Amino acid sequence: CGFTPAYAPGAGGDRLRGRVAVQAPDSRNEFAFAGRLSARLGQASTAEYTLTYSLRVERVSGGISPANDITRYTLKGEATYTLTENATGTRAAGGTVRNFTSWSATGSTVAGVTAEEAAAERLMTILADDIVARLIAEAP
Amino acid sequence: QDRATLVADSLQIAGDSQLVADGSVEVFFQGRRLTASRIVYDQKAGTLKIDGPIRLTDETGETVILASQADLSADMTEGLLTSARVVLNQQLQIAAAEARRIGGRYLQLDNAVASSCRVCAGSDIPLWEIRARRVTHDQTERQIYFDHAQLRFGGVPVLYIPRLRLPDPTLKRASGFLLPTFTSSTLLGTGISLPYFLTLGPSRDLTITPFASNAEVRNVTLRYRQAFATGEITVTGAAAQDDIDGKSKLRGYVFADGSFALPHDYRLTFRGEAVSDPSYLSDYDIREADRLTSSVAVSRVSQQELVYGTLRNIDTLRSADVGSSIPTLLADALWQHRFAAMGGNGNLRFASHGHLRSSTSQADANGDGIPDGRDVARASISADWRRDWVLPHGLLGAVMGEASLDFYDVAQDPVYAGSIPRVWGAVGAELRWPLVKTERGGGRQVLEPVLQIVAAPNSSKAVPNEDSTLVEFDEASLFSLNRFPGSDAVETGLHANIGVNWTRYDPDGWSMGATVGRVLRAEDGNGFSDASGLGGMASDWLAALHVQSAGGLYAAGRIIADDSLDVARGEMQLEYSNKGASFSSGYIWSIADVTEARTDDISELVMAAGYNLTDSWRAKVSGRYDFAAEEASRADLGLTFRNECVLLDLSLSRRFTTSTTVQPGTKFGLTLELIGFGGSDGAGPARMCRR
Amino acid sequence: QQIEFKGLQQDSSLPVEVAADSLAVDQTSGLATFDGNVVVVQGDMTIKAGNARVEYAADGTGIAKLYFSGRVTFAGGTEAAQADEAVYTVAAGEVVMTGDVLLTQGSTTIAGQKMVYDLQKGTGKMEGRVQTSFTPKSAAEKKAPKATPTPGAAP
Repeated sequence: CGFTPAYAPGAGGDRLRGRVAVQAPDSRNEFAFAGRLSARLGQASTAEYTLTYSLRVERVSGGISPANDITRYTLKGEATYTLTENATGTRAAGGTVRNFTSWSATGSTVAGVTAEEAAAERLMTILADDIVARLIAEAP
Repeated sequence: QDRATLVADSLQIAGDSQLVADGSVEVFFQGRRLTASRIVYDQKAGTLKIDGPIRLTDETGETVILASQADLSADMTEGLLTSARVVLNQQLQIAAAEARRIGGRYLQLDNAVASSCRVCAGSDIPLWEIRARRVTHDQTERQIYFDHAQLRFGGVPVLYIPRLRLPDPTLKRASGFLLPTFTSSTLLGTGISLPYFLTLGPSRDLTITPFASNAEVRNVTLRYRQAFATGEITVTGAAAQDDIDGKSKLRGYVFADGSFALPHDYRLTFRGEAVSDPSYLSDYDIREADRLTSSVAVSRVSQQELVYGTLRNIDTLRSADVGSSIPTLLADALWQHRFAAMGGNGNLRFASHGHLRSSTSQADANGDGIPDGRDVARASISADWRRDWVLPHGLLGAVMGEASLDFYDVAQDPVYAGSIPRVWGAVGAELRWPLVKTERGGGRQVLEPVLQIVAAPNSSKAVPNEDSTLVEFDEASLFSLNRFPGSDAVETGLHANIGVNWTRYDPDGWSMGATVGRVLRAEDGNGFSDASGLGGMASDWLAALHVQSAGGLYAAGRIIADDSLDVARGEMQLEYSNKGASFSSGYIWSIADVTEARTDDISELVMAAGYNLTDSWRAKVSGRYDFAAEEASRADLGLTFRNECVLLDLSLSRRFTTSTTVQPGTKFGLTLELIGFGGSDGAGPARMCRR
Repeated sequence: QQIEFKGLQQDSSLPVEVAADSLAVDQTSGLATFDGNVVVVQGDMTIKAGNARVEYAADGTGIAKLYFSGRVTFAGGTEAAQADEAVYTVAAGEVVMTGDVLLTQGSTTIAGQKMVYDLQKGTGKMEGRVQTSFTPKSAAEKKAPKATPTPGAAP
C-alpha cells in the first residue's frame, strides 16, 4: 500500500539517525525537549545536521468550578524548529508543531504542583515526537 | 566645523556676499534637510530667507516642519516660519499662523491647533483637536506644552486646561499621567482610575494608580520595577478601603517576582504572592487564582545536566480548603545527569522532596483522607537507561530499564509514621516500525506502530500516595514505564503498551496527526483512578488527533473512552484566525473521581471570538459555560474603536461564580486614548475621505 | 570664513598678453589660434587653457573675443573658476563658461553646468543643478561676533 520502512538502509530515518546535533537547552522545559529529540534521533556521533528550535508554552485554566476553584489546567505548547545542513548552511527542513497536555488541580497542593511539572515534561515529549515524525517524512 | 550643502537649479552670486538659489532648492546640514523653492543666503548676516513651499526635516526624521515662508539662521536652528505646520512622528500635527524656532530645540507656535486626526478636504473639523494660545515643542525633552489649551471633540469645546504638558509621540519613557480608565461595577461602584508613571532614574520606575468610586471604595495600586545588571524585579501591590461585605475594612494584595543571573550559569528566580483576604483578587478582578504560590528557585541547565532547588509556600483561597491541613511549605531539589553507557544512554537523578502541614493533628478532620498534620520528607536516587538498534526491514528495537531507591520519613500519620525505604524497578522492550509513504501529489505520510512490553515487580513497602493522585493518560504517558506523575506511587505488574501514530503532511501546508493506543495488563489492581482511564486489566482507549492548516486553523483533541465508548476524559482545543476574524474555544470533560478529590464531573466550554466589524470597529466576545452546573461562570463583551487618532475601548464582563469567599460581579470599563501623545499604541487605519 | 566675491572682479580694459606653445594665424578670417599651455594674463587675472582662439576687433584695436577649450581655468585672488569651455568677451567683461563649471572661493566650492560671470561687477549666475557647500555661522556665534573681523581679500 505504498508504505516503506523509514529506517531501511538509505531511507529518510536512516539518513538522519545519529547525524543530528540538537541545540543546547536553556530551561527545564528545553532540557526535557532536547533530551527527547536526542534520544529519538540518536546521539549525534557525526553531526551533519543541526536542529535549532524555539519553544512557547502557555498555561490556561481549563475548568473553573462554580465556587471559583480551578479544577483543570491546560498547557498549550508550540515548537518552531529548523534543520540546517552544517556543510552548506542550507535549511533542510523546518516548521511549527503545536499540541497540548492537561492535568487536574483538585486535591492536595503537592499533587497539583507535581501534576503540573509532569504535564510540562509530557508536552515536551509530545512536541519532540511530532517533530521527529515530520523530520522522518521530510528527510532531506 | 560641519559644512552645509546646497543644491539648486540655479545659483546667483550677487555682489555683497549673497547667494540666491532658485528652483527646487535643497539644503543639508548636520542631518537636517530643508527643501524650498527659493533661498537667499546672506553670508555676512548668516541668514537664510526662504520662500516656500518649505519642508524642514530634523536629524531624527521624527519632526517635520512645513511652512510657506521662513527667515532662518544659516544653521537652521533659529528663525521664524509663517503658516507653519509641524508633523511629529507622522502622527501629531500642530498648525499655526506663525512658528518660531529657538536654539535648534524649541518650536513655539502661537494660536495653534494640535490633532492627529486626518482632516478631509470637505469638512475641516477633526474628530478631536487641542487649540491653544501657545504650543511649545521641546525637541530635546520630547515634551509639548500647551498654554490656555482647549480640548474639542468634533469642533465642540469639551475641556479647558490653562496649562497642559503632554509627551510627544516619540517619547517612550517619562514621568507623567497615563490614561484614565472609567469603570462601573456592581461591587466597586462607578469610578475612575488615573495612573501616574514616575521614572526614578534610568533603571527604576514606579506607577501609582489611585481609584475612587461613588461606592466609598478607595484603592491605590502601586507597581515598582527595577532593572539590575544581572536581573530585574517587579513588585505590584494595592491597598484598598471598602465596605463591600458590609463593614469597612482595609484590604490589599502584593505580587512580587524577579529573576537574576548568578555566577556559573545559575539562575535565581523568585515569586511572592500574598493577599489580605480570599475574595480581594476576584472582587477587584485582579487575577483568576485560587491558590497563591510564593517560591524561590535556583536552577542551572546545560546539555547534560539539570540542577534545581525550589522552596514554595502555597496559600489556598479555596473556600472548601482548611489551610492548616493542606501542605503549605514545599521543598524540592534535583540533580539530573545524562550519561551514555553500554551503547545506550540514560539519566541519573538525585532528588529530594519535603512538605509540611502547619497542623499537628493526626486525625483527618477535613476528610481528605490524609491526617491533617502529616508531614513527609523523601530522598531518592533513580536512574533510567535505554538502548535501541535498527533491525532488519527498518524495525527499531529497544530495551530500557528504570529503577529508584526512595527513603521516606513520614510524621504525624498514625499509619505511616516513621521512615520507609522503598525500592522499585521496571524493565521493558520496545519495537517500533516507522513507515513512510510519498503520495503522487507530494503528500507524505508516516505510520508508526509501537509495541512495548514492561515488567515491574511489586514494590516492597507501601508509601502514602499524595503526589501521584492526578494521573493523565496521553500520547506521552502511553509509552512511559511509570505513568504516575510523582514518586509516591509506582506502576507495577506485567503490561503491554500498544499504539500506532499516523501523520499526513499535505503539500498545501496543512498537516494532520492521530494516535490510538491502549494498555493491556496481566493482572488488575494497579492503583490507577477511573478518571485517568488507566485502570483495569485493559485500559480505556486513548485517541488523539491534531490538525494544523497553513491558513490559520489549529484543532487538537484527546479522548479516553472504554470499549462501550463511555468517555472518562476528553478535551478539545480549536483556534482559527484570519485577517478579519479570530475564534478560539476549548472543551473539557472529566468524570468525577474521589482519588482526584472531585465529587462532580467537569464539563466546561471556553469560547472567545473577535471580529472586525469595519476597519476601525472590532467586536470581541468570550465566555465560559459550565455544563455540569448548568450555568455560565464568566462572560465578557468588548468593543474597540481605533483609527489614526482615537482608541476607544468598551468592555463588559460578568463573573457568576459564588462561594463563601467569592461574590458574582458585573463590570463595565471604558478607556479613551488620544493617539499621538507618548509612545502610545500604534495608530489604526486612517479614515478614508469620501469624495 | 566669508565668501568674498571680489576675487574675480577685473578691469577688462587692461592689456591682454597671450603666451602658448604654438600660434597659427588664418589670414582670411583674421582668427589666431594658440595651442598648447595657453596662458593669458590681464591685470591680476590669469587664464590657462588647452587652446584658445582669438578674434580681433574689426577695427584692429585689439582682442574682441577669446574662445577657450580643453579645461580652461580663470584664477584671480582667492577665487578660481574652471570649465570645459569658456568665451570671454573682453569689451563687455563677460565670461560664459560651460561644461562642469567649478567656482572655488577659499574653502567654498560651487559646481554647475553653465556660468555667466560679469568681471566688471564681480557677479555671476550659475545654472544646471548647481551644488555648493558652505560653513554656516551658527546662530549662537552670530550673536557674539568673533573678536577679529575676517580680513576681506583685497582685489
